[in-house]
Amino acid sequence: MITVFRSVFAQPRHLILVLAALWLGLALAEKHLDRRYISKDALNNIVYYGILGYVIGGRLLFVLAHLSAFAASPLGIFSLNVDLFDSTAGLVTVMIAGFIYGVRRRPPLWSTLDALTPLFATLAVGLPLSHLAAGTAFGHPTSLPWGIDLWNANRHPTQIYDFITSLGILGLLWFRKIHSPAGSEFISFTALTACARLFLEAFRGDSTLVFGGLRLAQILAWIVLAAAFVTKELLLRKENTG
Amino acid sequence: MQQTPRRVTHALILLLGLVWIFLSTDKTGRATSGNIPAPQQGFQAPDFELITTTGEIIKLSDLQGQAVLVNLWATWCPPCRDEMRTIERIYLDYEEKGLVVLAVNMTYQDNEKQINPFIAEQGLTYPILLDKTGQMANAYQLKSLASSYFIDRAGLIREVVIGGPMAEALLRTRVEEILK
Repeated sequence: MITVFRSVFAQPRHLILVLAALWLGLALAEKHLDRRYISKDALNNIVYYGILGYVIGGRLLFVLAHLSAFAASPLGIFSLNVDLFDSTAGLVTVMIAGFIYGVRRRPPLWSTLDALTPLFATLAVGLPLSHLAAGTAFGHPTSLPWGIDLWNANRHPTQIYDFITSLGILGLLWFRKIHSPAGSEFISFTALTACARLFLEAFRGDSTLVFGGLRLAQILAWIVLAAAFVTKELLLRKENTG
Repeated sequence: MQQTPRRVTHALILLLGLVWIFLSTDKTGRATSGNIPAPQQGFQAPDFELITTTGEIIKLSDLQGQAVLVNLWATWCPPCRDEMRTIERIYLDYEEKGLVVLAVNMTYQDNEKQINPFIAEQGLTYPILLDKTGQMANAYQLKSLASSYFIDRAGLIREVVIGGPMAEALLRTRVEEILK
């Protein structure tokens, strides 16, 4: 079944899974929306500008980082090749676009993040499926019976582990009652996802290693988890005093 | 949850997290587990030995120390046809800097008689290798044509591009990275 899945969604078709997750996530976010704080139009605008920022920023910064290559072939700037892209730069551009939108329109920050949480949670479900299709984010070799044959070894199906935990997180957030203060849903999602990353990264075979073998993604996940706990405390304190 | 139990729970989770980070250290110290040859970014490129259209035998492992672009193609594949002229331009620009291009024709699923006319029509000067048995397709787990593998001087695959045609800018950026 996995072989068939990987054939159907082989690169570059694996990106269809991300687009599907984006579409579904936006639909869920609209359904889950608390219209007291943010309208459907405002939500759609935020997502639209976010996607635009990601695409333009990711391509533009890639071009700037490889100017000599594009000088010889300037029309390549408009190429449909998805490999001419810097994902990190795209994410930074989204954050900048979000900041600018926030300064101009002044939406309530925490309510907006809560409104976007179903979208983030659904993307978190779609991404591991995309990784499974492309064979990226693969696991350590293992002798466990549920290992998958990938890149000439029987490996932990880390993409499937990720998919299951992300689906669980989405379900948990979807069916639980929303608690005050505003921001609780987003912080819960962040903390749960950071926890999952912290645990599952141990089974990855492609981790970036630092300081003689520590996994960078685990260190970052721990920091994000600590920040989520601290932020939750601050929001609760503000609610109690305010 | 009340304040103190909540804070204790958070502190315990963070402490367990730290313990797990140290328990799950990658003791081999390698970013890509096992260093097993595989046709994927970060792995050693699987070795192969094939004959060219001029009768020469080329083995990938003999080219260690050089930057290699391996391109899998067939005469019936339109994106392959489109990008091979671009690859020729890149090859001429970077050959003196140490770039080797190996264009491997999937002969087992192509018409061998069409290969030489195709090379002449396209004006290609880089080696054209013939995969007559499918061993290359098997070793590189071919899923789609065109497929390109950018291999650095240490023999590691730095980038895999499935599908085409590749833009010239993409080729230049990837080639410049493997030439470093």
